[in-house]
Amino acid sequence: MAFLFQSILNGILAGCIYALFAMGLTLIYGVLNFVNFSHGELIMWGAYFLYFLMEKPLGLPLCAALLPALLLTTLLGVGMDRAVFKPLRKANALTLLIAALGLSFFLRNAAQFFYGAEIRTYGFEIRRGMRFWGMSITVNQVAIILTAVVCIVFLYFLFHRSALGKSMRAVSDDLELARVVGIDSKRAILSAWVIASALAGVGGILLGLDTNLQPGMGLINLVKAFAATLLGGVGNLWGALFGGIIIGMAENLGVLIISPGYKDAIAFAIMVLMLLLRPSVLLGRGRD
Amino acid sequence: MDFLLHLGVLIAIYTIFALSLNLEVGYTGLFNFGHVAFFGIGAYTCALLTLQRIPFEVSLLIALAMAGFWGCLLSLPSLRLRGDYFGIATLGFGEIIRMIFQNEVWLTKGPMGIPGIPKPVLFSYRFASLPQYFSLTLGFAVLTFLFLRVTLRSPFGRVLRAIRDDEVAAETLGKNAFRYRVKAFVIGSVFAGLAGSLWAHYTTFISPGDFTLLETILALLIVVLGGQGTAWGPVIGAVLLILFQESLRLLRLPAEWTRYLAPLQQMIFGALLVLLMIFRPQGLIRVKGKGSHA
Repeated sequence: MAFLFQSILNGILAGCIYALFAMGLTLIYGVLNFVNFSHGELIMWGAYFLYFLMEKPLGLPLCAALLPALLLTTLLGVGMDRAVFKPLRKANALTLLIAALGLSFFLRNAAQFFYGAEIRTYGFEIRRGMRFWGMSITVNQVAIILTAVVCIVFLYFLFHRSALGKSMRAVSDDLELARVVGIDSKRAILSAWVIASALAGVGGILLGLDTNLQPGMGLINLVKAFAATLLGGVGNLWGALFGGIIIGMAENLGVLIISPGYKDAIAFAIMVLMLLLRPSVLLGRGRD
Repeated sequence: MDFLLHLGVLIAIYTIFALSLNLEVGYTGLFNFGHVAFFGIGAYTCALLTLQRIPFEVSLLIALAMAGFWGCLLSLPSLRLRGDYFGIATLGFGEIIRMIFQNEVWLTKGPMGIPGIPKPVLFSYRFASLPQYFSLTLGFAVLTFLFLRVTLRSPFGRVLRAIRDDEVAAETLGKNAFRYRVKAFVIGSVFAGLAGSLWAHYTTFISPGDFTLLETILALLIVVLGGQGTAWGPVIGAVLLILFQESLRLLRLPAEWTRYLAPLQQMIFGALLVLLMIFRPQGLIRVKGKGSHA
């Protein structure tokens, strides 16, 4: 029984991280109306930027390296938009997606170029977790949950209480209408990129702390974030949170039944199930 | 000479692979980002069956059927989706298939891969030497080219392009867009399976690492470089890209450089895709008129 609770706990933990990915993905989707295939690479580079700052020659301690790592991830996200997506705002969907996929492949191999394909960690000692009710949880994992909760609370206030958050929601609902009523859509788009990349960076770092780093982590987490987005309803920020936690739980409970080699396939299976069972929900918001 | 024949074989195989993707991306407007899955299914099926001493002709047919079957299975739920959702569903499928190759050790030997895939024997003629294998792949490439050209010039092909250009108009004329898309996807998958089978019997060794996103990116780059929705685009794209990819071998660079060269080359492929999309999305060959050229 304790085993089951432990799996649920691990599921919530992973779910919090996936939720951060999914919220960023759905935010960009809402504002720009396309699935950013290179969102996974922001996650991956977020984790690698921290690695870069903590390793020689810089060798910063974790707390000093966190903010610069997030800043770098945000710069990467905004740079991505400026260099690739901005020139393609008026392009058709296929052109945009192929460019996003190419960018994703470029960034993934850039990580492999600098750091190789091998699995890396931040090099913290493995510590024994605290035990309660037969479950075990490490200090890192407590920090992960707390960070995720702080991010989510921050987002809640941003989107429901601040003018900037409201303008982003307005642009997400209807770009033209938002422009007509005088909302600065450029500022809203820029803010969406900043927030989405910062969320990806936080999530990537948390994932790196909890597990490990490798150049392929972006792609697989993109699929998970997307599955979470579908579960929660595309463009729905709080749905993304809910979807992320469901995916995290399903993965950790799923490996009790099937081979752990297929852990990453569970999110995909959920996605296909969603497509089969509730296709109408997904087709709600059409492009063009 | 051997190197030229080797280039020829690769160009022929990638031409088949890219032609099949062009049918989906260029002519039907399907965002298939997991095309490698069908290449892999074809490769594994054909390799495993011939190793069980099943004649190559039969193995190849079963491999094509398998690729088509999985194409149908994937497209039925996911083709009901909008383009970018379909893109991510196929992208995920490509990863899942690789996971299956990796984990089903009883069938695929997992990460160890399958060695010793025999050279094909077609109608009791053995295509063992390099010139023989080149003629075999060239023959299949020409057949694929002709088959797709005839298909795309038929009423079926016209409907595909009509759906790509204006789905609502095509549906108004009584064409079931979903069905046509599934058919195009299955045909594309079958030919990807053909390319995969030919590739497996050429390299004689396959492992899960051969079927990654890189293969999809290569095929996509070939298609958009040559010109999506053009008949000759994939052929020209394949020639250019394979020449670029394999030319590095001629430089005889030190072995320790490969650790950097492989990712660097793939960075170039990614950057090339982005630059093409920004500056020349139509590729080298332009479609004559507006979406009417076959």
